[in-house]
Amino acid sequence: MIDVLLKIIVFGTVVGGIWGLVASGFSLIFGVSRILNFAHGAAFVCAAYVAFLLSGSGFNVYLSILAGLAVSGLLGLLVYLLTRPVRKNEVMVIIITLALALLIQQILLVNFGDKGISMLPLVQGVVELNNVKVTNMRIASFVLAVTSLVSLDLMVSKTSIGKKIIATSQDSEAAMLIGIDVEKVFILVMVLSSILAGFAGILYAQIFAISPETSLKALIYAFAIVILGGLGSLRGSIVSSFIVGYILVLTITFLGARWSEFVMLLAIVTILVVRPTGLFGVEE
Amino acid sequence: MRYAKAVLTALILLAAITSLCVQGGQKTEREKVVIGVIGPMSLPEGMAEEKAVKLAAEEINAQGGILGHPVEVVVGDTKLDSNTASTEFRRLATIENADVIIGGFSSGVMLTMMETMAETKTLFLADASSPAHAKKVAENYERYKYWFRVTQNNGSTFALDLADMVRFLRDSGYDVKKVYIIRDEHVWTDPVVEALTPLLEEQGVEIVKDVRVPRGYSEYEQLIHEAESLDADLIMPILAIAGTGDILTKQWATLKPNILLAGHDLAAIDAEFYNKTNGMANYEIFLADGGALITAPPTEKCKEFVDAYKKKYGHYPESHQAYGAYDAVYLYKTVVEMAAKAGEKDPFDPDVLVKYLEKFDASNPIELTRPIAFYKNHDLMWGDNYVRNWISQWQDGKQYIIYPESVANGELKLPPWIE
Repeated sequence: MIDVLLKIIVFGTVVGGIWGLVASGFSLIFGVSRILNFAHGAAFVCAAYVAFLLSGSGFNVYLSILAGLAVSGLLGLLVYLLTRPVRKNEVMVIIITLALALLIQQILLVNFGDKGISMLPLVQGVVELNNVKVTNMRIASFVLAVTSLVSLDLMVSKTSIGKKIIATSQDSEAAMLIGIDVEKVFILVMVLSSILAGFAGILYAQIFAISPETSLKALIYAFAIVILGGLGSLRGSIVSSFIVGYILVLTITFLGARWSEFVMLLAIVTILVVRPTGLFGVEE
Repeated sequence: MRYAKAVLTALILLAAITSLCVQGGQKTEREKVVIGVIGPMSLPEGMAEEKAVKLAAEEINAQGGILGHPVEVVVGDTKLDSNTASTEFRRLATIENADVIIGGFSSGVMLTMMETMAETKTLFLADASSPAHAKKVAENYERYKYWFRVTQNNGSTFALDLADMVRFLRDSGYDVKKVYIIRDEHVWTDPVVEALTPLLEEQGVEIVKDVRVPRGYSEYEQLIHEAESLDADLIMPILAIAGTGDILTKQWATLKPNILLAGHDLAAIDAEFYNKTNGMANYEIFLADGGALITAPPTEKCKEFVDAYKKKYGHYPESHQAYGAYDAVYLYKTVVEMAAKAGEKDPFDPDVLVKYLEKFDASNPIELTRPIAFYKNHDLMWGDNYVRNWISQWQDGKQYIIYPESVANGELKLPPWIE
């Protein structure tokens, strides 16, 4: 029984951590600029493809990862530039970001096909924890994801930049009146969030594999987690990403792999029926 | 004067219409042979089909065409959608006047296209693997006789190949008593497992668990742990739709369980699979769907084809559909020439050509990139001397056929971590 519990904790935490990186960025963008960024999944896959291609071409793997993160950051900037003129029109924002996501997916499909790419894990080997074999890469991903999420939370809640982000998310016009350059805040949030998604993509490609279709999966997970946590609530997204991770692993363990995503989505719907604003959301 | 002009115009129009009618009544001389290729053209399967057909057409044209007529290739894109596929098939058959249509990846899409094929009476040298297609031919021969499966065996034959795989492993000294199956959550795997279960029971092999995974599933590590805890000797993937066979391979190679990975993982057939998994595909045993491998071509023509493909396109075939599509063009050429030689009035008539295609049966296979013969229901013949899904293994970056002996170019190698 301890084996099973340990397995659920380890696997659930790693999966939750990776999706937490994606969802927290998605949530941050929405919270600050009220943009539903449907191209968020594209940053997830693009960073992994760039890092994979560069490291495969002989470049230093860490520099390749940095380049991947830079590309995902640039993608965030591109989303900012494309949505800026239509930011007030939510439908237009969705159409533009969705079109960008589909365009990137098609570019990847045409150039690399629909088969996945997989990065060699940065940390090799396996450790045995109470008869449960866990790859070192999973442990490293867990540490990196949790560190990133804690740092993000600290940055938003404790630093002056974070206070500007919170002020802008609460009322961007009032923030502007007290001298905050909200456009800079938007750019920062968009780029930072895309980099987080890119980082998640790189970690994901080390444990699993990434194909152009994974961008849609990342988007669906991010969306579901953010709604569960409460739209715009950063902490809500982080907590609910771990809830989703544990639900997934619990389902695989006790009901079978075929039910994993079904049960996860059903649980989210059930929670939303009971609490329509999500776990940490507030009624507007 | 006004009347004269009107009468003159009417006469000119009448003359033009009459002339068109006369032309229509005359039998037009054949100027070319039109070969249609249809498939999902943004996917590797469709791309490979189109490229292979164009390569074959180019080769045939360089040798004088078919009965002296140049070959023209027209392309239809199914977009993997039944409605689009049907419309595209009809366009190729009726607007482009294709003499034969080749390809048509995916079983569901194929079922729809077979209806359009029957309406337009077009010869269809087809892909896709569902037993339902050949069943239609058997049940309503006159309507569906224009359909022949060329690319790969009927999907139910995977059970025979997988049972042979287990037998081969046992004969080679790797004792298999318990099998852990991981398969697509899709109808195509049901008849495979249904047929496989008694075949394994005959060998005294137990299926300890049969796990179905949805499309895009990625958490294989947990399943590998479970297989270990159930004392399985073999993890048998039956994966095509999930699209994540590479993740299973990667996680198996990372965890290094004392269990062999051997089954039908469609991703492993890809010549780039080894590189895409950073070499983690090493020692994976898989089925070479379609009966050919780049590094182990079963016939001389297959070797020539692979080399010609690489030379023309700069890379090897994207998928095994290339072999079937290439063969289909040469098969068509062969039967047209046979019909002409036999003095048939119209050697391009699909009803005539069906008879000549049926001549390639168990006793008379035609050797193309694979030896091709048909059952009475026009299904591709399965067997060591025909086409089958060869039992193959990735070894140090190269794919080897390891069973049956008649075509094997390598021997089984167990991973060093297997005790």
